Amino acid sequence: MSRSAPQGEQDVVDESVPPGAWRRMHPVTPALKGWKIFVGVLLVAGYQLTDNLQQASSLLEGRGWLIAIGVLALVAVVGFGYSAVAWRMTRFAVTDDAVHLQTGILFRQQRQARLDRLQAVDVVQPLLARLVGLSELKLEVAGGSGSAVSLAFLREGEADVLRAELLALAAGLRRPAATPAPGVDAVAAVGAEPGVPAVTTAAAPVAFAAAPEHQVYEVPMPRLVLSTIQSSATVGLVIAIGAAVVTAVMSREVGAAFFVVPMLFGIGGFLWSRINQGASFRAATSPDGIRLRHGFTEARAQTVPPGRVQAIRISQGLWWRWSGWWRVEINVAGYAIGKEQQQDTVLHPVATQDEVMTAVWLVLPDLGVADVRPVYDAALRGTGDDGGFTAAPRAARWVDPIGWRRHGVLVTQRALITRSGRLRRQVDIVPHERTQSLGLEQGPLQRRLGLASFVVHSTPGPVQPAVAHLAAPVAAALLDEQAERARTARAGDRSELWMRSHLEPAPAAAPTEPAAPTEPATPTTAAPPQDPVA
Amino acid sequence: MTSDATVPTADGTRDPFAPLDVTWTPVSTRLARARLTVLALWFGPLVLAGVVVAVATGEPWVWVWPGVTAALAAWQSWLIPRQVRAMAYAERAEDLLIRRGILFRTLVVVPYGRMQYVDVTAGPLARRFRIASVQLHTASPGTGASIEGLPPQEAARLRDRLASRGESRLAGL
Repeated sequence: MSRSAPQGEQDVVDESVPPGAWRRMHPVTPALKGWKIFVGVLLVAGYQLTDNLQQASSLLEGRGWLIAIGVLALVAVVGFGYSAVAWRMTRFAVTDDAVHLQTGILFRQQRQARLDRLQAVDVVQPLLARLVGLSELKLEVAGGSGSAVSLAFLREGEADVLRAELLALAAGLRRPAATPAPGVDAVAAVGAEPGVPAVTTAAAPVAFAAAPEHQVYEVPMPRLVLSTIQSSATVGLVIAIGAAVVTAVMSREVGAAFFVVPMLFGIGGFLWSRINQGASFRAATSPDGIRLRHGFTEARAQTVPPGRVQAIRISQGLWWRWSGWWRVEINVAGYAIGKEQQQDTVLHPVATQDEVMTAVWLVLPDLGVADVRPVYDAALRGTGDDGGFTAAPRAARWVDPIGWRRHGVLVTQRALITRSGRLRRQVDIVPHERTQSLGLEQGPLQRRLGLASFVVHSTPGPVQPAVAHLAAPVAAALLDEQAERARTARAGDRSELWMRSHLEPAPAAAPTEPAAPTEPATPTTAAPPQDPVA
Repeated sequence: MTSDATVPTADGTRDPFAPLDVTWTPVSTRLARARLTVLALWFGPLVLAGVVVAVATGEPWVWVWPGVTAALAAWQSWLIPRQVRAMAYAERAEDLLIRRGILFRTLVVVPYGRMQYVDVTAGPLARRFRIASVQLHTASPGTGASIEGLPPQEAARLRDRLASRGESRLAGL
């Protein structure tokens, strides 16, 4: 580590952080991250070489072995060396208002994530990190892609303590003592000799106890496996294998069937990732918000504070209809569409109707109707104006001959529920206060038929709520009323600093939602179901 | 209002894209002129080149090329003023309404309290025609609310107004 450039000298000084508050990641971090670089390079090289195996094997003759090993060693040294320097240049601090992170070797980056805008906190443990007892703490702050603050890696216990602290601060609780950390923890030893580990990564003093959790549901593994197999992907797999066999038989050559191999890998990978990500899925409530734990190789514990769920989607593919299973997904700002989308936007990978109701109750305790079951029945399976839904008129059959009877919308006191899809059933729920903007769309055919589509714009995520082909006047009235309702609901929204409104309790004494899985959606305010629009 | 949105629809009900008690502000017709200029800059040389080639070769079928491009240009120049006339916005007490489209019509309602930031942009051509565009950003990428063809002082006024209204109704997500 020759590059022990003294930090802070040429840096823009972050004055809002007391110098003693800076902390480092765990020293094992470079080993874990460097390993990733090493494997990545190996994979790319391997991929290139498999294209031409003969040439590759000729490379390894004679002295070739030595060169290969030398290159590998070089890659390893560069990978681990880079990670080590990166680790040395990375430090973070938690103040009352924000999390500060400084990273970068050549291009220094300072990131400050405001805690009152905290959307979710994830503790992620990739397989390797789990083996050595480390975890990554990820903060989502809804700033678009790449806005997450990732603290990797921390000791397991430390990550949990930090999570509790961040959530408590985000909830608006104050630190009990004014002195956050004694000087021992400080990274203040900026110009320390390179060889000596300048900073301890000991946990900060426990300022906040972790909020108590209460488990609400758990997905049984057999059901997860069965439901994953019972999907269009499997059908595709069967067709692919069938096609392979047929081609092999027809052409009397086994090699001809190899064209399906990439496809098999693709589908197999999809099925595996579904099972892997959904394995041992558990959901719990806590004063910090809902907590979702899942993952087989990579364990993930997500915490979504109250009021951070922007929209909910309940969907059922054709193959799940006979089992009565549903998949529940959520939009959380910051869990933007990306490669990890499937992992963190799932609220329940495979739920029965009762579990759907429980899952939705978790994130939206009050649906705004007195009796929720008939509403769910109508939303999940109903057509036409079942359960008080406002449905698409008969004219809609010209634009959607199969599913037109499913298009419908129900407005309750707290949320907008939209329904669509005959083959692939889908129900979207948007709490009024989470509406971003609204839209009305009409194509030429719809115009002739007197129809219009109503769109609710939500944050990026799997849920894009809309009701297609409503009668035009109904859609227009819905637009007006919904704009009004969203405004009223927003005015009463208290999800930021969500505990400040309570009488300064200790975190543990904070009012806990009594988790009652058997009686999921008992509304706290017994509001009569409101009349549907128009 | 030159747009046809105030005309009742065929079955006599009121137009869903013209909410009552809303006064629409149409965008500047200079936007149409700016767009027509762009059109002329693109299609003019194309048609001209076609004509030159046709005259040079003397073959009658070569006239198909300039003919088709000219027809396209004519159709566009008929469409653009209509499209621009269909674009309008309205400031209500709590939200901003933006309307556009003739064949495929959209209406967007953006609450001031949901606005994250506002962009005002004007390219060289737009500056020449003294217009600017204002884009509103919420936390949703689906909002897609932009108003093109505003006079610069109107764009600035709208920006300041939106910013001040957004601030007074500041909320998270």
